[in-house]
Amino acid sequence: MAQASRSRTSAQSGEAARIGGGTRVRGNVTGEGDLLIDGNVEGTIRLDGDVTISGEGSATSDVAAHNVSVSGSLEGDVEATGAVRLGGTAKVRGNLRGASIVIDDGAKFTGRIDCEFDLPAELSGSAARR
Amino acid sequence: MASTVIGAGITIEGEIVTDEDVLVEGTVRGKLSAKESVTVASGGIVEADVEGSSFAIAGAVTGNISANDRVDLQGGAKVVGNVRAARITIADGAQFKGNVDMDV
Repeated sequence: MAQASRSRTSAQSGEAARIGGGTRVRGNVTGEGDLLIDGNVEGTIRLDGDVTISGEGSATSDVAAHNVSVSGSLEGDVEATGAVRLGGTAKVRGNLRGASIVIDDGAKFTGRIDCEFDLPAELSGSAARR
Repeated sequence: MASTVIGAGITIEGEIVTDEDVLVEGTVRGKLSAKESVTVASGGIVEADVEGSSFAIAGAVTGNISANDRVDLQGGAKVVGNVRAARITIADGAQFKGNVDMDV
């Protein structure tokens, strides 16, 4: 999955943005394109593209982006226009908002989930009054 | 170790501390502190005091540059600030305004 999103980046903007494992950023990250975080970020992240926090990565940030995928640790709220995915190794504390949200088995998560979706037919029959 | 890339569309305002190579194609404002080489690509903008081991600059840097080893200002580079390095090259076509301190 990471590969797929990265190839999309290179088609889009040439070079993928990456915060390497030995890098710490304190401040705000904004702009277009995708971002892969293997290092540490403290501050808000606001991007048009996808944000991926790898297994080694960590962030203390509110994240606003298209798709957000977390395998490392994140403390802060996520607001995605696309999908949010917490991988099996993710450790997340904060509120999630997105068009779709996936939490894999093994992920640790504390917070609220705000996701609009249609209830399955058997539930919507009793929940939605006609 | 793999490097850190600030992509073309990305702006970072704040402090970056790293012990890896850094490639700046986007914008960095604040402070950049690296242990290895720093490359500012053509189109990259750095408005920050920067320190690192060696610098290759083809973009725009406003701020003081402090290198443990060397600074190379390539053609098209635009640097406003003081440069402190043991070795420095300024290529034809590079613009530079500031002082050079070669520690002699």
